[in-house]
Amino acid sequence: MDIIQYYLSNTSHIYQLTIEHLYIVSVSTVIAILIGLPAGILITKNEFIASKVINIANVAMTIPSIALFGFMLPFLAPFNLGLGKVPAIAALVIYSQLPIISNTYTAIKNVDPHIIDAGRGLGLSELRLFTNIKLPMSAPIILAGIRTAVIMNIGIASIAAYIGAGGLGVLIKVGIERVYTEMIITGALMVSLISLLIDWFMGGIEFLSTSKGLKVASRLRK
Amino acid sequence: MKISGVINKITSYSLKELFTTFILLLFLVFANPLSAEEKSIILGEKDFTEGYILAEIAKQLLEKNGFKVRQKHGAGTNIVRKSLEYGEIDLYYEYTGTAYAVFYKQEDLSIMSDSNKLYRWIREKDKEKNLIWLDPLKFNNSYILLMKRKKAEEMNITTISEMSTILKKDSKALSIGLNPEFKERPDGFKSLMKVYGFYIPYKNLKTMDAGITYLALTEDKIDVAMGYATDGRIRHYGLTALLDDKEFFPVYNPSPVIRKEVLDNYPEVEKFLKVLTEKLTLKDIKLLNYYVDIEHKNIVSVCIKWMKENGLL
Amino acid sequence: MKSFFSRIYLFLVLTAAVITGIFLEQSGLIRYISDPYEFRYITGLLLQHIRLVAISITFATTVGIIVGVIFTRKTFKKYSFIIMYIVGLGQTIPTLAILALSLIILGVGERPAILALFICSILPIARNTLAGINSISPGIIDSACGSGLSPMRVLFEIELPNASEVIINGFRIALIINISTAALGALIGAGGLGELIFGGISLMQTEKILAGAIPTAILALTGDFICRLSRSFIVPKGIKIKS
Repeated sequence: MDIIQYYLSNTSHIYQLTIEHLYIVSVSTVIAILIGLPAGILITKNEFIASKVINIANVAMTIPSIALFGFMLPFLAPFNLGLGKVPAIAALVIYSQLPIISNTYTAIKNVDPHIIDAGRGLGLSELRLFTNIKLPMSAPIILAGIRTAVIMNIGIASIAAYIGAGGLGVLIKVGIERVYTEMIITGALMVSLISLLIDWFMGGIEFLSTSKGLKVASRLRK
Repeated sequence: MKISGVINKITSYSLKELFTTFILLLFLVFANPLSAEEKSIILGEKDFTEGYILAEIAKQLLEKNGFKVRQKHGAGTNIVRKSLEYGEIDLYYEYTGTAYAVFYKQEDLSIMSDSNKLYRWIREKDKEKNLIWLDPLKFNNSYILLMKRKKAEEMNITTISEMSTILKKDSKALSIGLNPEFKERPDGFKSLMKVYGFYIPYKNLKTMDAGITYLALTEDKIDVAMGYATDGRIRHYGLTALLDDKEFFPVYNPSPVIRKEVLDNYPEVEKFLKVLTEKLTLKDIKLLNYYVDIEHKNIVSVCIKWMKENGLL
Repeated sequence: MKSFFSRIYLFLVLTAAVITGIFLEQSGLIRYISDPYEFRYITGLLLQHIRLVAISITFATTVGIIVGVIFTRKTFKKYSFIIMYIVGLGQTIPTLAILALSLIILGVGERPAILALFICSILPIARNTLAGINSISPGIIDSACGSGLSPMRVLFEIELPNASEVIINGFRIALIINISTAALGALIGAGGLGELIFGGISLMQTEKILAGAIPTAILALTGDFICRLSRSFIVPKGIKIKS
């Protein structure tokens, strides 16, 4: 089959693009978590700020991805960061904020108040309450948010090829330029493959992070 | 997974210990142990077939002569130019006409149509920006307007003026396919319409990726397509180029543009790339374009094959 | 406490608005759109964009709801998991790739773009229709059947209204994805606001990028807003009180 032939004769190029793609996605996810997770936790303290922050993150998502990428270019060019990966990563960080912040906020807010009460009754300090009760209990939902963000990023990162960031989107972009079907299909398949693998991987992490108690509880509930 | 356990462990270290570990981690991530003797160059490219081909050939030449070449991905004209100006890339192939019309927004016909004058003008101007234009290649990869041969013969169009006469009578007579860059550039379609004195309503200006204008033309979705003079698809699809009788387009000779400080560090680069001026002819580049665009051959192998045939590798 | 925060928020919003205004002016956007030819051009692109979205989302909603409903019917319920999984796989394929593949199949122009947008928008709608109908407590459906309603009437008068909130949410998500992806249509000759965005990017002209991006974002926000608003009309009162 032609696709297989294309893949075999361009393996190293495809491999290099895949690594680039993964690099862009992982760096942007890590930064997005470093920003979004604390943000999500902080806004649980105040309803008003929470709704505004989530609103802003919502608006950020309605901007078409190519526009946000394009916008980062003139923004970052004077800092010697204009070409390629940095504007792509910056845009992806902005995009990922909504799922991460929103899920973190919802998860922490929705921890069963009875359990928190019990915790207080046991004499736990506010910090201990947070680290030993709230965080572990909200972990699965927070991880679900991160998982959504990662899968989203993998897809959107393909468009970053149009601002010189590389990644598997290049296969699609150049495939369109040359009207080279096999190239396009290879690019599409590789991105889907990565998406699926990481989705399963993160599903596993989500499962592992659900503390035993919660798993039993959900089973009992059913 | 004991999150609380992990956090407990972290908070048990002193602030000083945490801080030093963090600094060490940063160091590991960002420290780049490049040996001082390694000659390295960062290459950029424009995002269409010929741009990729020129960059690949340059890369092979430099690597053969002991350089470590880092290649950045292709992007639009202004993006690549800006990254050169800001020092993100060291070298890329730019066209004389493009620099003249787009970066410097000039329109002097006497300079534009003379290949040598144009080159010297650009070289002088960019020297002020510490960008050096090395030896240009001899072929002219101008923008061209293409039509299907049969249709052009039917409508009796051989020049752009003849096309504009038809459009002056009926501005909806022809639709054209072009890419966003060509439409908006100072040496692009909007300005061309002004110079030739016709106007096509935007509904008939179909924007698409440059590579698929040929496709649209063959599918009869458009009547006229934008193209490049050295493109291999012109002959393959039986298309004909309209003559630019008012000489609207400048000459477009590709030439390596390098940052002055990089050239000062490695003056031999000029010599290495000079060989292409003689060796890479119009016929050659058309053939290379054809191999990549029509026969879908791998760019790297096409370039290497050509270089071996011409004694460059 | 709240008024303190709201005052700070107001202050921040005003500062942001002023900065945005200055920025927009500096980038040449105001100058650009005040050119009457360009303005007509932008409006034309906007209409093209809306056209692409409207046609594709109409098809996607119709087919999406039908597919969602079909797989909640008893005979097909066992396949629903597999089908939804497969359709879900479709969403892992990047929208750019779907557009490129439509180009290969249908050539250049509006049609491949509409096809690609249709494919991208179907999943959220189908999946939410399925989930929405499946989440109705079986007791309600039972009592409806028990009251002698024909299956058709059960569907239209009980199942769909009950699931409407979830379905509208799915539609909302699909709409936003659609409007965003339609911007890529410019690559294959479909027009739309993406033309300005791509042109601005390759020429590094911020005003063009903004002239394309801002209307698209406004379009998406308007769509989002209308969806949230229509909830109060479409979703029957009983369900709203429950939530």
